[in-house]
Amino acid sequence: MMKQITVIVFCLLAGQVCMAQNDSLVNPLGEVVVVADSYNKENSIGYKVQRLNDSVLLANQKSFTELLRYNTTIYLREYGAGGTSTARFRGTSASNTSVVWNGININSVNNGQTGFNSLSVNLLDNIVIRSGGGSIKYGSGAVGGTIHLNNTLSFENHFSNQIISGVGSYQTFQNLYKLSYGTPNFTIKFGAEMNQSNNDYPWLGTSFDNENGAYENVNFNLYAGLKVSNASTLSLYLSTYEATRHFSGELPNPSLAKEKYKDFNQRGLLVYTYRFGKLKQDLKAAYLTQEYNYYADKNVDNFDYGASKTYLLNYDLSYKLTSTIKLESLSEYTSVFGETNKIQEHNRRQFSQSLILTQDFSNDISYNIKVRKDFNSDYEIPLIAAFGIEFPILGAIRGRMNASKNYRVPSYNDLYWPGQGNAELIPETAKQLSTGVILTTKQTVVEMDLYIIHTQDKISWVPGGDPERPGVWVPINIDAVKNKGIEFSGQQQFYFNKSTIDVKASYAYVLAKDVATDKFLIFTPKHSFNTNLGWSYKRWESFYQFVYTGKVYTSEDNIDLFSISSFDVSNIGVNYIVFSKKTAQLQMGLKVNNLYNEVYQTSARRPMPNRNFNIQINYKF
Amino acid sequence: MTINKFAILSIALSTFFISCNDDSDTMDLESDYSNGILITGEGSGAITGSITFVPQDLSTPSQLIYKTENDSELGTHLQSMAFSDTRAYISVDNQHTITVVDRYSFKEIAKINSQLEHPRYMTVVGTKGYSTNWGSTAVDTDDFIAVIDLNSNTVEKTISVGLGPERIIARDGKLYISHKGAFDVNNIVSVIDIETEAVVEITVGDKPDELFFDANGNLFVLSEGAVEYDSNWNVIGNTLGSIAKINSQTNTVMTTINFGDEEHPSLLEIDGDNLYYFLNTEVYTLKTSDTSLPTTPLIETGGIYGMAIRDNQLYSIVASFSTLSDLNVYDLSSKSLIETLEVGVAASKIYFND
Repeated sequence: MMKQITVIVFCLLAGQVCMAQNDSLVNPLGEVVVVADSYNKENSIGYKVQRLNDSVLLANQKSFTELLRYNTTIYLREYGAGGTSTARFRGTSASNTSVVWNGININSVNNGQTGFNSLSVNLLDNIVIRSGGGSIKYGSGAVGGTIHLNNTLSFENHFSNQIISGVGSYQTFQNLYKLSYGTPNFTIKFGAEMNQSNNDYPWLGTSFDNENGAYENVNFNLYAGLKVSNASTLSLYLSTYEATRHFSGELPNPSLAKEKYKDFNQRGLLVYTYRFGKLKQDLKAAYLTQEYNYYADKNVDNFDYGASKTYLLNYDLSYKLTSTIKLESLSEYTSVFGETNKIQEHNRRQFSQSLILTQDFSNDISYNIKVRKDFNSDYEIPLIAAFGIEFPILGAIRGRMNASKNYRVPSYNDLYWPGQGNAELIPETAKQLSTGVILTTKQTVVEMDLYIIHTQDKISWVPGGDPERPGVWVPINIDAVKNKGIEFSGQQQFYFNKSTIDVKASYAYVLAKDVATDKFLIFTPKHSFNTNLGWSYKRWESFYQFVYTGKVYTSEDNIDLFSISSFDVSNIGVNYIVFSKKTAQLQMGLKVNNLYNEVYQTSARRPMPNRNFNIQINYKF
Repeated sequence: MTINKFAILSIALSTFFISCNDDSDTMDLESDYSNGILITGEGSGAITGSITFVPQDLSTPSQLIYKTENDSELGTHLQSMAFSDTRAYISVDNQHTITVVDRYSFKEIAKINSQLEHPRYMTVVGTKGYSTNWGSTAVDTDDFIAVIDLNSNTVEKTISVGLGPERIIARDGKLYISHKGAFDVNNIVSVIDIETEAVVEITVGDKPDELFFDANGNLFVLSEGAVEYDSNWNVIGNTLGSIAKINSQTNTVMTTINFGDEEHPSLLEIDGDNLYYFLNTEVYTLKTSDTSLPTTPLIETGGIYGMAIRDNQLYSIVASFSTLSDLNVYDLSSKSLIETLEVGVAASKIYFND
């Protein structure tokens, strides 16, 4: 730890080395930009929201997991780099994190989660991290927080191309191409991406490599927008993702690993928006498919599969009643068909209706009140409600507060797993309250938030959970959990001579305890900290990333010997702009990951990568 | 600062010791795990399999002694241990590994991980170890006994056997193996002549597990009986649990004592001419000469996952898969609970390390 701190201090004092991601303070979009999830901002009144722009996404190109690990205080548990990866907000469970693609919840139907290494984010335009419950808008699983993957469409005359090509240690190759074309009436975007790696990094302190860790994925996106009239726009979002991953093993005998996993996901979304005076309406139709093949032995052509199809229809209508008050109605119908080779196809249908009242006073106070009722073919979902408010405190300091009730429905695995599923499960629910302050000036942002979350009827798999099936692991609604915590984050820019220095840091402290036992939840670090330091000078940009994750327990009685140690990891990088003209720009970058060769694990007995390198060329024309 | 002080102190002390005593080897003082009870925990999910040492006087247990001594984890699922005079052999199923340690210090000596696949139990005969292996759990016909050379700690050959070999014991040049059936169901005990490798199969009840010899050379085998499911995992029936008494000269079943329908006994133990087993929430006892089951239980234990009998004391384990488990020690005369101690996660097997 000391050595890293020394480096940070040295960086600051000597004006040495450091980074580039300095565009998130100012958002210079002067264009006419359309997003599919157009209500996200006002839906987030009173919430902590963090936005990662495309430059941040491209600087952390390796994986979604790494992007979140180095830029947020979300806890990521990875079964070896590139393996299965889950994310937890504020000490809640992995199935309490929802991933929302252009406004649509894309968590897996089968397990209720998203695998953060089975999703590519490099072709996105931005990612919004919203801490706190969001079930009103995003449905099941939006409990701890939501991660929004957004694409934007820009209706102005432009034509641009971008090629990024990278080579890294362990035969890692990344290639990406983006095209964007637009006129005031029509716009189209295309993106293609290929990633590939042997991922066979040496396991520090052992004689083993990360055998059987190779992956490759291909991702295509196509987005188009059409101005049908002055008031209405039609936009289309299409995305396919295909991946083959191998799952590496664990100590002491990693040579056993021979698992292989294939993902094939498709998403299509059509959005019709209409804006006229006080009236605003959005109609969305979506069709999503997810499919996986799991090979227990990659050498045997025998696999387990799971597949799901989701049909979604969503109608959003809002009307400005007065100059400050807006009323919004959100109706959604989804029909999900899910099956695996062990679970017969089940169809789950849900209709939900939300009402949202937003009032925005000219003196800068705004608030909203939301309620939602779901009608689900499988079980009762309670009425939920949320409240959020933002208000000025003093000068540049503003306050915010939100309270909400959210839920997570049982997954298909929970309900139908052969011999183990439990059809009697009810949704788990969580009530939460969060309050914070934020100071914003031109060069500074400082935020602090406090929260409590009380989860009930949490779904846990326990042996002998059903007295009728002794010794069998069965999911039941058992635990009550209380989480409380405090989060700080800040960003500061300094300018001197021709240099810009940008410092970002966030720290989270979480106490998540089981109410019955008063013990900490497993896989919930008490402390997490990360910082990104950037320095740019003329054509040079450099950056330093640092993350610290506290110790996590793996046993529910919090035995130290059954814990995974805390770790800190640093990355460093430098970019050089070879030329920058109005029509073309060429940039080259070098990044060193795990600079100090730290030995660390995020999952027991699965070491993470040693020091490794990545070179990137970024050409825009 | 502390480190510097410690260094100076160490130098000073070592100088002092060197000057007055040449073999002051205080840093290498080995832990001693003899004269106590070793309990293996299978581990669960992210939680490693572990070994707990409980001193004979039932004072404070030492948890995770392998990790403490070797600074590494065994992984899941730690199925069982076997012993030679000086060494312990730890079979970890999912890691396809048998770890060889000094029986009293628990310092690692070797790892055997080639030619093993789901090792379950092992027994030691002279300089050879015999390990039951399930092979690939997707294939029913590749199960085997690995013959391990204990001098080189390598598998020297394998002997093919029927599905799901579980416990293994040896007597008079022969190996006796219960075939519980791995993830399926089997109903045989195989007898292997070590010299000729000839295999004889004896049919017993479904899912045979523990097996023991009595002083007269009779083999007792507990079969749990199987629960039968339809394709949707609904229970459609049960086969009977039983205790079989086998003549090891003729390899024939002399008597079979059947349990009732839907009764699935487990955890057979033998102590002299007494047999003990667990059913539902209670432990029962009968004589090796009995031909029928006892009607009244010996003692109520609640649900248990492992047990052993010694000196008229019952050691039973109430297992937890997410926290430390409980070892309950009962006095069988007074039928009272003497002590409850914490042992490993998913604790299951009990060994006396005298």
